[in-house]
Amino acid sequence: MNYALDVQHIAKSYGQKQAVRDVSFQIQEGEIFGLMGMNGAGKTTILRMLATLLRPDSGDALIAGNSIVKNPEKVRADISYLPDEAGAYKTMTGKKYLKFIAGLYFKEEKDQKECVALGEEICGLGDALKQKINTYSRGMTRKLVLARTVMTKPKLAILDEPTSGLDVLNSLDIRKTIRKCAEEYGTAFLLSSHHMQEVSSTAHRGAIMKDGQFLAEGTPEELLKQYQAETLEEAFEKAVRSS
Amino acid sequence: MKNLLKKELSELLNKQMLLGLLVSFVLILMLGFVMTSTMTGTLEASGEVHIIDLDQTDFTKQLVTALEEKGYTVKIISDTQPYENILSQQNWNDAAVLPEGMTDLLLNQHQACQIDSVTALKTTSAMSLAFAEDTSAEYVKSAINSLLSEIYLTDDLAFLEKPVSSISYTVANGKSVQANSASLVSSLSVFDQFMPLVLFLLIILTSQTIITAVAAEKTDKTLETLLASPVPRSVIIGAKMLAALITALIYALVYGAGFLAAMLSNVNRASQSLDIGEAFTTLINTQDAVKTLGLQISFSGWIGVIFQLLLTIGIALTASMILGGLVEDTKGSQTASIPILVCTMFPYILSMISDIRSMGAVRYLLYCIPFTHTFIATSCLRFHDMGLFFGGMIYQIIFLIGMAFFALKLYQSDILFTHRFANRKEKN
Repeated sequence: MNYALDVQHIAKSYGQKQAVRDVSFQIQEGEIFGLMGMNGAGKTTILRMLATLLRPDSGDALIAGNSIVKNPEKVRADISYLPDEAGAYKTMTGKKYLKFIAGLYFKEEKDQKECVALGEEICGLGDALKQKINTYSRGMTRKLVLARTVMTKPKLAILDEPTSGLDVLNSLDIRKTIRKCAEEYGTAFLLSSHHMQEVSSTAHRGAIMKDGQFLAEGTPEELLKQYQAETLEEAFEKAVRSS
Repeated sequence: MKNLLKKELSELLNKQMLLGLLVSFVLILMLGFVMTSTMTGTLEASGEVHIIDLDQTDFTKQLVTALEEKGYTVKIISDTQPYENILSQQNWNDAAVLPEGMTDLLLNQHQACQIDSVTALKTTSAMSLAFAEDTSAEYVKSAINSLLSEIYLTDDLAFLEKPVSSISYTVANGKSVQANSASLVSSLSVFDQFMPLVLFLLIILTSQTIITAVAAEKTDKTLETLLASPVPRSVIIGAKMLAALITALIYALVYGAGFLAAMLSNVNRASQSLDIGEAFTTLINTQDAVKTLGLQISFSGWIGVIFQLLLTIGIALTASMILGGLVEDTKGSQTASIPILVCTMFPYILSMISDIRSMGAVRYLLYCIPFTHTFIATSCLRFHDMGLFFGGMIYQIIFLIGMAFFALKLYQSDILFTHRFANRKEKN
């Protein structure tokens, strides 16, 4: 099967600390996969390795068939990465920022325009796009950076805590956007979250992490069944405490 | 209040700040040491009086004794070789020449005499020259005046009003010419002091701009977005460096133009106080003297200087990219530029107050700083030190290639995010 992402036994250490230990998983086209774990579980390290910002100590991952170790340049053309609490260039207007990002991914002006138009539609900021980003609220900024992440229609979008620090309504908007992009453009999503609710309502599948390892992996229903829990939060607690 | 003060201090007096402070303290101490030893050397040299005695009479011997009694160390020779040969052989910076027949003029014919004042020009640093120029001749003239006052205690002779005057000769590049070394230096310093100032500004501005920009991108996490995009990292680094260079050039042009305008207005004001004909003659004579001594820089020489200037800016930009990549946030960027600031300040200040090329062992330490070679580039060309000029240029090229290679490796490595150098653990 051709996976959007095929992670094979990746591991990463920082000095003596093993941040990620022999992790393997796959994501299909249009699938949303959620990484759940406490602080220090290794989620961000996995995301950064897949975004080609960190190099794995061992193992590899194929994104649309390209290796993150051997062909990171090719991988970058197929991915889009949204760091945790990522900002944007504050002196730019929202529209100019979208144009700038489109210019990084597309050479042709026609493609850039299409990309920006999609970004404008996804973020739904309307006239506010003409304003400078330093006037935006946290929710508006997050919507803008999420739009720039998905407007290039990447094969894999990597999102680190996409709704972190947002209010309920903004969080709901972001989740809807993620699901819509996965369905309409076939983009595969890998997202990390502290919020079990976010994963259960957004992701098709997920994994519970602790100390750099997967404790469990499956659909929300499978995880509930595995831990005989009523909510994903309960399943998470049982998984983490019993390990 | 106590709690608040404690919190504010703990934020301001962080490890990075204290480390930066310590590094600055050590480097300033070193700078102070180098400056003190330079000044001490100059002052020691100024306690020496060098005499070329072509008269060799009892009066000139009396003159030497009088100088020694005043506490000067007198070095005297009788040699009719060209001045440039004598100064080079004796390793003197200056000399007073007592011409044959001087004693006869002063004591028998009761006429004023002229002595030659020879100064070896080794640097275009005006401050350095101020200590060395015409020193021996001035001491000799003063001693002659004293001796004549004693001899003609009660006589009222006209020549005693100004019994001795001097003609200035400048020696450089194995040649000598009748010219005042201070005039020569001031005519050259318009370029030789302007260029280092522009360079100093360029380095400081570009490095600060780059380090702050990279640190801000790290804080805002926009750097991660850029580095995960399909744009080659060399292009990302190059664009940042080019933008900083253009900004710095604009700053340097504005500052430089202001500085040049101020200098030219001073020259203009000075020339207005002179008779126009006299000013013109002085200018022509100075230019002729510069040419005769081989102090002018050719067109290809200036191209070389500009090339060194670009190399230096390239090194500063690349070093700043590295330092910016190593800092964790914008707070760290304030102290991260200290190494560049110090490495620029050292050669800049020392090239202004002294001749780096003639310093002792310290000069080799300064040559290790790539920026030094650009600060002394014009001096190397004017005094035909081509080995040092081209050696410095080659060193800068190698240094730049090494730094660029290291910068590229850094931006392709984990260190940018893990800060393993800073011994910090990753947030997960």
